[in-house]
Amino acid sequence: MIDLAVNLLRLGLGLGAVFFVGHGIQALALPISGEWRKLEQAAMNFGLGTVALTLWMLALTLAGIPFSLQVTLVPPVALSGVILILKKRSEKGMVRRAHPAENRKPKTENLVWDRIFLALLALLLLFATLRATFYPMWAWDEIATWGCKAQVYFMSRSLDLTCIEAHNYYPNLVPFLLTYLYLCLGQVNDHLAKAVFPLWGAMLLVILGFLLRRMGLTRTQTRGTVAFFALNGTVFIVHLHLAYADLALAYFALGGAGLIYLWLQDKAPRGSLAVAAVMFAGMAWCKYEGPPLAGTVLLAAALTLLWLRPPGLGGRLLRLGIPGAGLASGYLPWKVYLIKNQIEAGSDHIMGFYPHQLLPSLGYLVDGLFNPFYFGILWPAAFLALVWAGRRLFNSASLFLALFLGGNLLAVILAYVVAPTGAAEFEMYVRATLDRLLLHLTPVAALAVGEGVKELGEGPGANKSPALFPNPHHNPL
Amino acid sequence: MTKAKVWLVRAILLLWSVQLIWLAWYFAPEVKELAQSVADRRLGEEVRREDPYYRWLQSLAGLIPSGATYIFLDDYEAGKEIIARYHLIPRKHVLLSPNVPPIFLFYKVRQEKAAFVIIRDKERPPGPGLSAALGSPAFQPLDVPGPGLVLQVDYLKVRGEFYD
Repeated sequence: MIDLAVNLLRLGLGLGAVFFVGHGIQALALPISGEWRKLEQAAMNFGLGTVALTLWMLALTLAGIPFSLQVTLVPPVALSGVILILKKRSEKGMVRRAHPAENRKPKTENLVWDRIFLALLALLLLFATLRATFYPMWAWDEIATWGCKAQVYFMSRSLDLTCIEAHNYYPNLVPFLLTYLYLCLGQVNDHLAKAVFPLWGAMLLVILGFLLRRMGLTRTQTRGTVAFFALNGTVFIVHLHLAYADLALAYFALGGAGLIYLWLQDKAPRGSLAVAAVMFAGMAWCKYEGPPLAGTVLLAAALTLLWLRPPGLGGRLLRLGIPGAGLASGYLPWKVYLIKNQIEAGSDHIMGFYPHQLLPSLGYLVDGLFNPFYFGILWPAAFLALVWAGRRLFNSASLFLALFLGGNLLAVILAYVVAPTGAAEFEMYVRATLDRLLLHLTPVAALAVGEGVKELGEGPGANKSPALFPNPHHNPL
Repeated sequence: MTKAKVWLVRAILLLWSVQLIWLAWYFAPEVKELAQSVADRRLGEEVRREDPYYRWLQSLAGLIPSGATYIFLDDYEAGKEIIARYHLIPRKHVLLSPNVPPIFLFYKVRQEKAAFVIIRDKERPPGPGLSAALGSPAFQPLDVPGPGLVLQVDYLKVRGEFYD
C-alpha cells in the first residue's frame, strides 16, 4: 500500500512537472496571460509541456546523452522557472486585460442540465482513469509499438531501436513521454503510467469546452456539446484508457485547428498563433499522420482567407507562417534523426497507387462515419450543422471547418488507395486504422456541431454572421 | 428556427439518448469487472498474473539470459508474439512462421546466434523446420510447463552458413 502511495506521488509530481514546463512555454508565447482562463491555460500547458519535454529527450538522443531523471527533467524545469520569473518581473505594473467581454454570453444557463452534463463527463473520466490504471497494457499497438518502445528506451536509457523491427520511423512523443514517466516512477509500471491518457482526454475536453465558449456558446450549450462529443460511440471512450498515440494527435489537432478557427473569427485571445504553433509541433511529433494533418489545417485556413478576402489579407496569410514554423520545429528534428540513422519512413503505408481500392474505401468510410458503434451520431450531426449553416458557410469562417473536415475525409480515402495491402488483408487493414484516423478529426467535427448548437440559442434578431472578421485591426497574435 | 429544424433537433436528442443507453449497456460488463477489481484491489501485475500465457513467459524470462536471442515460431496475426516480445525485452526477438523450412530456420539460428527456439503452440502439428530441429542434436527440448515448446540451441552445432 505504501509502495502504491509512493508511486502515485512520483507519478503526480512527474505529471505536475509536465504542466510546469508547459506553463513556462506558454509564458513565452503569451504577451499577457490575463486573456486566458486558468483551466484553459492548464489544458494547453499539458500539451506544450509534453512537446517540450519529449523534444528535449530527442535532443539528448542526438547529443548521445543517456536518459536519467535529472538530465531529462532538470534543464526544462529550470528553464521554465527562469522564464516564469522573468515574465513576472516584466509584467509588474502592467494592467492585465480582462477576458474579452464580447466572448461572454448572457447568462441563459440551465443549472440542472449543466450538472447532468458535468456528472456524465465526470463518470466517464472516472471509469477511464480506473480502467487505465488498474489494467496493464495489453492492446495490440500498446505492446507492439508505443508501450514496447517506451520499455526499451527506459531499459537502455536511450532511443534504442535494436529490438524493434517495425515502425521504427514513427515519431516518439508518446514513447518518450511514457519513458519519462517510467523514469519518474523508477521502474516500468505500465498500468500507472497509463494514467496520462485519461488525463490527456480530460485536457482535450477542457480545450473543446473553452473553444466552444469562445465561439459564443452558453455554458449549458458548451457542456452539452462536450458531453455529446465524449459520449457518442465507443472510439473516444476506448482511447481514453489505451496507450496509443491517436488521442494525443486528436488533442493536438483540436488545439491547433481550434485556435486557428478562433483566429480566423477574430475571437482568439492574444498569443493564440504561438500556442497553435506548439500544437502543430505536437501533431508532427506524435504520429506519422500528424504533418499532413497539420498541413491541411494550414491549407484550409489559407483557402478560407483567400475566399473571404478580409482586410489585411496578405498579413493574415503571412501570420499563418507562425504555426507553419511550429510544424517544422516538430517535424525536422526527428527527420534529421531518421536521415542520420538511414531509417526509411512510410513504405509500409504508402507505396504505389491502387485504384481498385477506391470504392471499397469509400464504403468503409461511410460506415465509419455513420455506424453508431464508432462515433454515435456525432458525424451526422456535424454534417447537418454544416448544411444548416446554408449560404453562411460560404461567407464566414465556418468554411474553414468544412474545408478541413471535407479535405481530410478525402485524404483518408486517398490514404487507403496508396496503401500496399493484398486483397485479403485490405478489409482488416482498414478496420484496424479507420476509426483512429477519424478520431483525429472528430473533436474538430464537434466544433461544427457547436456552431449548430449556437444557432439554437440565437433568437431571430441574433447576428447571423458572427464570423465575418468584425475587427480587421484586432491583432490576436 | 423553423418547425422542421425543431423536429430535427428533437430527433438528434432522442437518438443521443438512445446512444447513451446503448453505451451504458455496452460498457456494463467492463464496468462490472472493473468494480470487482477495485473491490479486490487487484491491479497491474496481479491482473496480468491471471493469464497462463503470461506466467509461461515469466518462466521463460527466468530461463533466457537477458542478452540472448530467441527465435519465436508463431503467426503474427495471432497477436501472441508481440506479447512475448513485450515481456521478454531486452532479449532479442526474431519472429518466424511455424511453417518455416528447415534451411531458413537453421540459417537464422546461426545468423542471429540464437540460444533458444520457442514454439508458441505445442498442440499444433510441427512444420518442416521444427520437425528437422527436433531431429537435430543441436536442439534440446526443455521441460517448461505451459502452452508452448522450448528448445535450447547450440548454434555452433548448426550448419547453415548461407541461405539463398
